[in-house]
Amino acid sequence: MSTPDQPTRAGRRRRSLTAAIVLVLATVLAAVSACGDSSTGGSTTAGSTSAADQKITIRFLSYNYGTPDIGGQGTQALIDAFEKAHPNITIKPQGVAVADVLTRLQTDTAAGSPPDVAQIGWSKMAAAYDLLPIVPVQSIPAKADWDAAMAGFNQRLLSAVAVNGQVKAIPYTISIPVIFYNADLFRKAGLDPTRPPTTIDEVKADALAIKDKASAQGAYFAVVDSGKSDYLTQSLIASNGGREVGADGQPAFDQPPAVAALTAMQDLTTSGAQPAITATNAVAAFSAGKLGMLVGSTAVAVSLAKAAKGRFELRSTGFPSFGGRPAAPTYSGAGLAVLAKDEAHQQAAWEFIRFLTSPEGFTIITSKIGYLPLRPSLATDPKYLATYFATNKLLSPALAQLDHVSPYQSFSGKRASQAVVALQDDAVEPIVLRGAKPASTLSSVAGQVRGVLAQK
Amino acid sequence: MTVSTLEAGERGAAHAPPGARARARPWLYLSPLVVALLVWVYGPLVFTAVLSFMSWNLTDTHLSWLGTANYARLVDGRDFPRAARNTLVFAAVLLPFATVVPMSLAIALWKRPGRVSSVYRALLFLPVVLAPVAMAITWQFLLDPLSGLVNVITGRLGLGTHNWLGDPATALYAVGFITAAKVVALNVLLFGASLASLDRGLLEAAALDGATEWEITRHLVLPHLRRTIVLLGMLSLVVVWPWIFANVAVLTQGGPDGATDNVYYRLFTYAFTFFDAGTASAAAVFITTALAVVLGIGLLLTGRRRRDFA
Repeated sequence: MSTPDQPTRAGRRRRSLTAAIVLVLATVLAAVSACGDSSTGGSTTAGSTSAADQKITIRFLSYNYGTPDIGGQGTQALIDAFEKAHPNITIKPQGVAVADVLTRLQTDTAAGSPPDVAQIGWSKMAAAYDLLPIVPVQSIPAKADWDAAMAGFNQRLLSAVAVNGQVKAIPYTISIPVIFYNADLFRKAGLDPTRPPTTIDEVKADALAIKDKASAQGAYFAVVDSGKSDYLTQSLIASNGGREVGADGQPAFDQPPAVAALTAMQDLTTSGAQPAITATNAVAAFSAGKLGMLVGSTAVAVSLAKAAKGRFELRSTGFPSFGGRPAAPTYSGAGLAVLAKDEAHQQAAWEFIRFLTSPEGFTIITSKIGYLPLRPSLATDPKYLATYFATNKLLSPALAQLDHVSPYQSFSGKRASQAVVALQDDAVEPIVLRGAKPASTLSSVAGQVRGVLAQK
Repeated sequence: MTVSTLEAGERGAAHAPPGARARARPWLYLSPLVVALLVWVYGPLVFTAVLSFMSWNLTDTHLSWLGTANYARLVDGRDFPRAARNTLVFAAVLLPFATVVPMSLAIALWKRPGRVSSVYRALLFLPVVLAPVAMAITWQFLLDPLSGLVNVITGRLGLGTHNWLGDPATALYAVGFITAAKVVALNVLLFGASLASLDRGLLEAAALDGATEWEITRHLVLPHLRRTIVLLGMLSLVVVWPWIFANVAVLTQGGPDGATDNVYYRLFTYAFTFFDAGTASAAAVFITTALAVVLGIGLLLTGRRRRDFA
């Protein structure tokens, strides 16, 4: 029997049922439209630029872009200058945290829309070659075009980064390690700041003098890098005539030159010349004027100069050597790789890269961000960086050592980054900071790394 | 389906015994949530479980079957067992800060209501709203071994200085203590909310009967908070890891000598430093299973207690 409230309840049920159906349909439609959006976005980018003479947009992934510091400002200046010179090419920059570059490129590639040009750190470059569809930059232009563009570029560096004779990613924002030192603490310790140390032994002697007479910490080699990069480990081993990674991509850091190099680092700590702290703490101490020498990448030159301004006199000198053997630091920083899929985007990417590595490009990179000009003649060319180098001496020692850099070596296989982390965490840090026995530790970790590299 | 068909169905359902259509109706209402759960929770869970038997670098379109090799790598290796042990130590260090400490503070604040208590409560809650990374960076400065404020104070007090985050013996406890500030802050608020439902009249009656402050706390307040203690103890040990993760990522990166590594940071390292999705998935399966066991035991215990009280 029907009661007066029955139609109302039935109506309510109907409304709920309709609402449920609408909600399900909306969820399905939202999912479908989301998929549609991504595919449409991809095809628009590719389709808008089929011909070379048409307007074209390329995407540029950079860890410097978008940061509020000089790196961000310098990258924007580079993009602005390029777009002014090439009105038919638009750059769509994308920022990314430096630690996330490879992850971002992996996920973008998996989604089918990698950027056309990417700034990738050298310590991740071997993995990037292995994992990403990188188009070798040297293969894009005609040979004559490539030769013309690379005339004046530091040839030692170009050959160091080449893989089987071909440049796959071009050096862009490059740093090499140098000694930064506090000239005021040198004077306080009775040392002559115009004659900075040139060998590891001299670094130790000067550091102990600073500790004794200037009431400050002596020296710090930023070999225990918080980013777990091994560029300074490689620089030390190569400067002592050894290799971190053998020619076969297997560990060579258990060999005598590497053991001796890390023993020297441990000796600095145990003698008191070097504090047993991490690189982050050391940079803070140096910036505060409480550390005499900091051996680290020229990438921190601008921030150190800013910290030192009005506090102490900051100077720099070349990476120290082991005795009479010439120093052979390796480089850090980033290269530019092309991931563009079609010919038109690859050509536009090459135009962009050619500009970034041109005299105009490196003038902006050096003067605004502080990375090395990889065209050394610019430093004395009044049209480009002669004025800058007349007043900014911090990069000069690094520029002088550019002709002696050793190639960055990578472990073989897909577990290369795991091997680097094992070396830094399980060998370098315990040896340098906590007194682990160098020979046995390096030997044990080398065995561990061989096992890691052999894993599927 | 048209409206007229639906109406016919409604009428039919009102008079006929419940059939297949009527039994299906609740599922239609539930379907948005079920679809969402399948897409965002149970689907990825199954995908992760499948992935744990494979080798995949996150981009390669070819996934190769490894069987149980990823699990064997976790168990036989040194890193994951160490991370698991550290995770238990982290949990043990944080448990008092999730229960006893915030409960004592909340009771103290609840017993002395007023403006001062409100100010204290606001100050105690402040760490919860601060960004975890910003807090970690602040602690990085405070614990700097050469010029950090903590060492300046301990040095002036004649206690000497220490590299709290750089010494494997103290790093885990330092990170645990830093994280504890957030846990205490959140749980003081939640214990306070539980205490708000306790009738103050009972306390006054007990006081009139001559009960001391301790007896009132022991026999009235604590029994009232018993289930909250169990709940917050368990909940905190589940939700606290993003905070520990941020502190470890900023301050120690799992070091020194793996002392602050834990299963969550290790999982992240496998997936996004080594791009080894298979091993990361195996670690995720381990973690999920372990958590399910712990929560299951917790539910069994609280369920039994509830039955005992009933």
